[in-house]
Amino acid sequence: MTTTQNPPAAVAGEAHTTTKPTAPEKSRVRSDRAEAWRRRAPLMPALIFLIIVTQVPFLLTIWYSLRSRNLLRPEGEQFVGLSNYGDIFLDSTFRQAALNSVLITFGCVIVAMLLGLGLALLLDRKFFGRGIVRTLLITPFLIMPVAGALLWSISMFNPTYGLVNWLIGLVGISPVDWTSEYPMFSVIVALVWQWTPFMMLLLLAGLQSQARDALEAASVDGASAWQTFRYITLPHLRFYLELSVLLGAIYVVNTFDHIYLMTAGGPGTASANLPFYIYQRAFLGFDIGQSAAMGVVTVIATIALALLALRLIFKSINAKEQS
Amino acid sequence: MASNGKLTGKQRLGWTVLTVVVLLYALFPVAAILATSFKTQADLGNAAFLPSNWTWANYEMILVGDAQELFLTAFRNSIGITLIATFIAVVLATLCAYAIARLNFPGKRIILGTALAVSIFPVISVVTPLFNLWRNIGLYDTWLGLIIPYLSLTLPISIWTLAAFFRQIPWDLEQAAQVDGATQWQAFRRAIVPLAMPGVFTTAIIAFFIAWNDFVYGISLTSTEAARPVPAALAFFTGASQFEEPTGAISAAAIIVTIPVVVLVLLFQRQIVSGLTQGAVKG
Repeated sequence: MTTTQNPPAAVAGEAHTTTKPTAPEKSRVRSDRAEAWRRRAPLMPALIFLIIVTQVPFLLTIWYSLRSRNLLRPEGEQFVGLSNYGDIFLDSTFRQAALNSVLITFGCVIVAMLLGLGLALLLDRKFFGRGIVRTLLITPFLIMPVAGALLWSISMFNPTYGLVNWLIGLVGISPVDWTSEYPMFSVIVALVWQWTPFMMLLLLAGLQSQARDALEAASVDGASAWQTFRYITLPHLRFYLELSVLLGAIYVVNTFDHIYLMTAGGPGTASANLPFYIYQRAFLGFDIGQSAAMGVVTVIATIALALLALRLIFKSINAKEQS
Repeated sequence: MASNGKLTGKQRLGWTVLTVVVLLYALFPVAAILATSFKTQADLGNAAFLPSNWTWANYEMILVGDAQELFLTAFRNSIGITLIATFIAVVLATLCAYAIARLNFPGKRIILGTALAVSIFPVISVVTPLFNLWRNIGLYDTWLGLIIPYLSLTLPISIWTLAAFFRQIPWDLEQAAQVDGATQWQAFRRAIVPLAMPGVFTTAIIAFFIAWNDFVYGISLTSTEAARPVPAALAFFTGASQFEEPTGAISAAAIIVTIPVVVLVLLFQRQIVSGLTQGAVKG
């Protein structure tokens, strides 16, 4: 992206040569440097702000994680090294919350991706009213997540008047208390519903960037719809599929609203994921040290996911630049 | 996807049925909460889709009745905080994206990378220190105390979206206008601003959407009506009496807070969809 800029900037960039600078050149180098900083100036407010607001608190989190700090026992604050980390890995609730995080994230992302692919394929066809159908299908993504969580726990999954029970009652199945008997399932269903449109939009963008002539050539050559999908569309979509899974996972792994409002992590801690358990330990259990240690672990896990996503994005950009 | 040729009647019927099923999947839950919001308290216990007596009582309760203080103040807080955060984010991101799209300097990739890294940073891992910090410096439970973290949510994506938009603007137009005798400012205002506005506008909607939806900061960094935004307030709803679940009121509130966003996004759907996918796919 640095190669395709406007000419004056490119000329300025060439001034940094390796030849020994004579006196006038020296001042030119200096003014170039000033110029370079002047160019960066518009970036600085946003960048400095971002770093202060996110990284200073994170440094504090690391600091907390190395200390024993429990607001219920104020006298006990001291440096404890890595023992908080040791404690959390011995904490079976933490391990369960981590496992729940993985289950919720991958359950939601994979199902939403498959449904989104189905919807994208449906919308990639030309039919009457396609624009309206697409608009309506995006709706779940536009619902405030808190409202979405409440909508599922109240209107859909409520044991006495929920519509899911009404629906299964129509075929004679007795009512189920969804959010306490199947808390993980309930949360995943609500999340899948909310995230399907995001997947659909990304994959639809992928489908519509396909070269039409390749598809036509395939149909002229007598390929079946399945063969066309399997050998032309799917390889083309691979990047979009991977990207939607990774981007989806980065967002969904931080799910908090749905757990808080639908199950409150319960029953017990059966459906707590990492963000919820961290919140619980800090704001209800007042154990700042351990909560901070879990926060650090979550950050590391997220960074690992994000690095995968970044590599994918830059790989595709490089591939596009080379072609 | 495959053939665009003529479909037989049976195939056409199949696709139509499929489309209807898919629409039901997307819209049934929304319709359900809409229906719930019109049910009377007695009616709530019935497991039926439509209310037997339609009533505005739930809307009255949160707009003019007992729950109005809780809901309307939260609504005002949300709108105020979100608009201010959106405005600042768009101004700062415009400067930043302009520099990224227009100027050449080393470290550009690092800046975009930083913005991306910040945008994926798990909010939950910084909320406790912010809580402590805000309590110490008096930002806890204030508008500013939420605006600042909301900027950290909205700035990175604003920078990415705007940079993608700005890269597509034909900046030569500016020089062309200057050759034609316009001053630099005139050239910028007449030639570039009209081209950039749709991008700026789309970014503003996306930023608004993200700040509007936040729950973690909203519930952790506020404690009273002074700054509590709508998502946090929804979690604090209680019924008319302690023993009554506030289901109807919550449903009505959920509908009210959802409508502005849905209308906004549907009106500008085309720009937003292309903005979102550009930010995500083109990088």
